[in-house]
Amino acid sequence: MERYDIAIVGAGITGCAIARQLSRYDISLCVLESGNDVALGASKANGGLVHAGYDPAPHTVKATVNARGCELYGTWSRELGFTFHRTGSLVVGFTSDDRERVMALYRNGIANGVDKLPAAPGHAEELRFRIIDDAEDLHELEPRVSDRATCGLWCAATGVVDPFEVAIAAAENAAANGVGFLMGTRVRSIHQANRGFEIETDTGSVGARYLINAAGSGCADISRMAGGEELELDWRQGNIVILDKEPRPLLPLYPVPTPVSKGVIVAGTVHGNTVITATARLREPGDDDTYAQDVEELLEGARRLVPDLDTKRVVRPFAGGRAVIKGMNDFLICRSRLQPRLFQAAGMQSPGVASAPAVAERMERLLREAGIELRERASWNPIRKAPVDFDLAEPEEQDRLIADDPAWGRIFCRCETVPEAEVVAAIRRVPGARSVEGVKRRCRAGMGRCQGGFCQSRVVAVLARELGCNPSEVPLEDVGSPLLYGTVKGDARDSIAHREQGADFHG
Amino acid sequence: MGEPRSDTRFDVVVIGGGPAGMGAALTAHAHGCRVAIVERDAHLGGILRQCIHPGFGLALFKEELTGPEYAQRLINRVKVTDIVVLCGSMVTSIDREACASSTEQHDSSHEKGEPRPTHLVRLISEHGAVTLSTKSVVLAMGCRERTRSEIKIPGSRPAGVFTAGLAQRYLNVENQLPGHRAVILGSGDIGLIMARRCRLEGMEVEGVYEIMPYANGLNRNIRNCLDDFGIPLHLSTTVTKIIGTRRLEAVEVTRVDEHLQPIPGTERRISCDTLLLSVGLVPENELSTAAGVELDPRTRGAKVDQHLMTTVPGIFSCGNVLHVHDLADNAESEAERAGTQAAYWARSESHSIDNPSTETTAQEGDRDAVDDIVLEPEGLAGYVVPNRITCRDERVKVFFRVKRPVENAVLRVRMGGVVIFEGKPRAYKPSIMEGATLTPAMLMKAGTTLTVGIDEVEES
Repeated sequence: MERYDIAIVGAGITGCAIARQLSRYDISLCVLESGNDVALGASKANGGLVHAGYDPAPHTVKATVNARGCELYGTWSRELGFTFHRTGSLVVGFTSDDRERVMALYRNGIANGVDKLPAAPGHAEELRFRIIDDAEDLHELEPRVSDRATCGLWCAATGVVDPFEVAIAAAENAAANGVGFLMGTRVRSIHQANRGFEIETDTGSVGARYLINAAGSGCADISRMAGGEELELDWRQGNIVILDKEPRPLLPLYPVPTPVSKGVIVAGTVHGNTVITATARLREPGDDDTYAQDVEELLEGARRLVPDLDTKRVVRPFAGGRAVIKGMNDFLICRSRLQPRLFQAAGMQSPGVASAPAVAERMERLLREAGIELRERASWNPIRKAPVDFDLAEPEEQDRLIADDPAWGRIFCRCETVPEAEVVAAIRRVPGARSVEGVKRRCRAGMGRCQGGFCQSRVVAVLARELGCNPSEVPLEDVGSPLLYGTVKGDARDSIAHREQGADFHG
Repeated sequence: MGEPRSDTRFDVVVIGGGPAGMGAALTAHAHGCRVAIVERDAHLGGILRQCIHPGFGLALFKEELTGPEYAQRLINRVKVTDIVVLCGSMVTSIDREACASSTEQHDSSHEKGEPRPTHLVRLISEHGAVTLSTKSVVLAMGCRERTRSEIKIPGSRPAGVFTAGLAQRYLNVENQLPGHRAVILGSGDIGLIMARRCRLEGMEVEGVYEIMPYANGLNRNIRNCLDDFGIPLHLSTTVTKIIGTRRLEAVEVTRVDEHLQPIPGTERRISCDTLLLSVGLVPENELSTAAGVELDPRTRGAKVDQHLMTTVPGIFSCGNVLHVHDLADNAESEAERAGTQAAYWARSESHSIDNPSTETTAQEGDRDAVDDIVLEPEGLAGYVVPNRITCRDERVKVFFRVKRPVENAVLRVRMGGVVIFEGKPRAYKPSIMEGATLTPAMLMKAGTTLTVGIDEVEES
């Protein structure tokens, strides 16, 4: 049985961030993930906003980790090589009631320290968090905001990320620093031994002295199995829509929030698309369906904020759930009171992405407070080099890449200009892509308007070649989601994986 | 950037090596132009390569061919020319070469006497990045399929939901079976052909569902692909939910009312592991818009004049990237027109071209500074190509499609509300692209706007 000092359950953005934080220290660490990739749960189904933290009620855990997480994103993005744009944001109000709630948000924000967060480039420090009562000022910040808007809250700290890129980057850096990622490893039971845990999984037993529960929708099961708190979960489900690219990405625009949700937010993504996020409804656990009414609500909400937004240019509607702890509108980040070797990072919901780096920081502190010795390793490397994005490379760099390896010149995905070499890199990195969707999240092949209509069969062929399997064994997403069922005629050697160039059509 | 090498300098660069692209290239070449075809796939042929069913070439070759056979005939013609074929090459941008000789703004550089702009076509292939310089560009990139996302089918997102064309590629080119039991949404031609194809390869096809109260494909395809194989077609019914966590397990289909809204209580759950979508094609014009080409929101293709020239002088458009055609033959004859005009445009500056027809050319067309005529669709006509006419002394063929089937209707061309031409009453169908000819007599009468309308009329 493999033994570790600490096992983290769950390779979502929270688990990956914690793994990266702790990879700095001289301890043995593993991440157990039931899926075949990181960020398969709530981490891939959100709007990618790094909220600043004026929303959570002061003195909640959320309030602290949100603002601090937002602050840390600058350093994390530089070290981990993921794209983070500190864009700033506007809460947009239309009525006098809205004006009052904007005021309440402002006070919240001051209490949470949002006014001291870093500001988006080009925005004056002293004006970085302020109420706006002039429609002209609103339009100066975002010319496309509705003419009917009368007031707003400007926050210069808000940013946008690709949420799975953050999780992938953190996981890659953790792995490079020695963290073991055990993918496809579902926890079946946990035996509490004297000096720790014996964890039974699908793929064998793992020993760990301490356990960190970052299992997302599985957090209640893990807590119970490990002897921790009984958690009762609700499934708060949200639909999200991605629209096609705009010439200029929209500033993140928030409506005035309701007591349960931030409402329908419109924002330009780091890739120039528009994201409309999210509805919030309690649904059956595990439900990640999209619903016609939710999608309509999103498109309507978006048009209310940006009337000229062409909401017909839908690239993809999707959905995901957050396993929130019943009756507790907060994260549970603590050492378990029932099982002192168990640490909880549970009940993660919005603003889970924004908070992740700070949740990791807090987890480190909890471990230290529990007397666990964390000594820095001399070999720790905080830097993760991002894979090359061909589309963004300078022409000279593109030429050099192609001269080096012709696979850089074979463009697979025309919507996002992704060459074969990027697909190969996505598979070969550690932890690497094992599915068509995993490739898509890493290099954007299939992310565009045609949704893989052109590149999917090519990506399947490369996955099969790289992983040494048949195309029928390549999943769309997790294990058990095959796209293909074998060859139509002849034997398997005739399959695309084994037929590099194809018949010469010129004959 | 220095002077382009002579081997990257062309009269006409055609983007896309499908039937339209090859057609345009062959025609431009026949007019004596130095021509290049840029194709992103490893082979010429475009989507025809995966269309292994017969039914191609009846108009053009007067015999029934499969898609690959049809493509091969064109490929063979290209091969015996000195047309430069660049396969495995993706065009990343089309830019206008900066005017070195003058700092003046050439707002309308196609006016008489002005030098024609040179276009720079940048492409990426495994041999590196290359920039071609050319006087004329022909856009022939074809179209893409509408996705599940665009029509916003609710439900989960499992494996097993394919656009029909992708499934066709898996079956016919990759030799891969995409599933065992299929439901097909959309009665467009690709959906109908794939219904038969799946059945022939041993898959079960539960049925074809169509949200409209009529079939969208050609009649012959309904007969040959559905009726002959006993595959039912369910009209006014659509897929309202996708069910399944990892692989598709079922779809929910629901009947729709006359406003295309699902009728509660008519939902039906159908077990299947495959859903094929044949729900429309979208001209693929991202490259065109980046080059400054204006699009017609109705076709999502470029706005063109009677010579198929877009709003950017020297850039032409034809085939499915201009508007979606039913038949490859039609796309190709359109391409021949684009190729001819691209050749005239490219060669007119420095060469005296032998203008074989009495037809006015793109070059001569700008001679008289008369107002352009804007063409608009009206009534049941969903769109009209071209969008503008720049000269009035030639016959102009216009193409359009009706929005819905109509038993008895007339074509009416109007100028300022006044009918200047009326056709004979007959039936029109959305699945068939229609053509009509505007004569110089009509054009001379026209002001600055003409409408091409289809009006339903009483049975006489």
